Amino acid sequence: MTLFHVTAKDLKLHARDARFLATLALFSLSLVLILSVAFGPLFQDPAREASATLWAALFFAGVLGLTRALDMESESGGGEALRLTGADPFAIYGGKTIANFVLMAALFALVLPCAAVFFDVGNLAVLPALAGVAALALVGYAAWGTLFAALARGLKARELLLSVLLFPTLIPLWIGAVKLTHSLWADGTIEAVRDWVKIMVVMDVLGLALAAWLYEVIQEAEE
Amino acid sequence: MTLGARDIEKRFGHRTVLRRVNLELLPGEVVLLRGANGSGKTTLARILATVLASDRGTVTFEGRPVRSQLRRARRSIGFQSHRPLLYLGLTPLENLDFFGRLAGIPEAGVHARRLLGRFGLEEFLDAPVERFSRGMLQRVSLARALLPEPKILILDEPYAGLDAEGSATLNDLLEEARDRGAAALVISHDVERVAPLVTRECVMRGGVLEDGSMDQATA
Repeated sequence: MTLFHVTAKDLKLHARDARFLATLALFSLSLVLILSVAFGPLFQDPAREASATLWAALFFAGVLGLTRALDMESESGGGEALRLTGADPFAIYGGKTIANFVLMAALFALVLPCAAVFFDVGNLAVLPALAGVAALALVGYAAWGTLFAALARGLKARELLLSVLLFPTLIPLWIGAVKLTHSLWADGTIEAVRDWVKIMVVMDVLGLALAAWLYEVIQEAEE
Repeated sequence: MTLGARDIEKRFGHRTVLRRVNLELLPGEVVLLRGANGSGKTTLARILATVLASDRGTVTFEGRPVRSQLRRARRSIGFQSHRPLLYLGLTPLENLDFFGRLAGIPEAGVHARRLLGRFGLEEFLDAPVERFSRGMLQRVSLARALLPEPKILILDEPYAGLDAEGSATLNDLLEEARDRGAAALVISHDVERVAPLVTRECVMRGGVLEDGSMDQATA
């Protein structure tokens, strides 16, 4: 139940912060628009360019989301009170990871149609497979991002540390997402690049396993 | 339930904030901790509340190191600090309901509503706390600390920002806590407000706790 309560609390706080949501949406949509103009109007490989644009927009907007989630915990000490409830640390981590995943999934649902329209790619037939790719990428992103956000909490240069840790760690996940999306949009199948699914699953499991092992230590070491 | 500090030392950089501090909170007592600004009172409170780790020494809960039973100890300690320890985007009721549920309190929402009512916040239950004045935030913060009816209360400047009515409510709640056997450590400069409840007084001077040794406490 802790997990459910933490997820609900984080999503409620996000939903009430209209300025944050507007910034997140505008930032990601602007990035898609700018890159579509930069690559266009005659695209050489629209599936490749669209997939790179889609995941770049999600990646950078995701950092904004993680930073905001971090701020919510530190402003006025809510995170400290959360720790003092004596709730299971991994359930707290799980709740926050799910909330970050839902936020990223909502962003994906917003950015995907824009990227598809601007680059004129994709069709409804590959949508379920694309949703699967997104789930793999965003679970990993939320798992690693929530862990690193906890690690950066309380530091003055927390945004910098979050980016420095997150960017290199997630490279395999993001390359996989781009390659699988490109394959789906170009060929309608992932057969040629299906090994990337295994790599992404490993990244997801590794992030969650590391959090199960380390999150309590990180939570207690934040002061 | 007892909470104790044995030979606690804490440094921030080159500055020693606490020097071999010993203190024990026993059931039914209200300990007033006084001292000048920067003397180490808040640091001691944060260490006792398990928010901060000491560099040396041990915090004990029921005679055993608190770190070996952290989650259990935290569910028995109510901590109020300088910061509100609330989520600003949530209403007071949502904050208390959330923390209460996580602390495993049955019917947390009902208790929260009743406690907030005692602090005179019935009309503001549905407003985000980010719109609250300092005094109102302090009331919500105190309600959060008192919600689980903790066996040990650590209150850091609980009267700050409170009007006479709020102070009276806090004293009533502290008295009730004392009567049910809870121990309380109250850090305050408003000695007059808390004086009727105090059973023991300690003074912190330059990181040294005076008149609060374990020998004296248990004598």
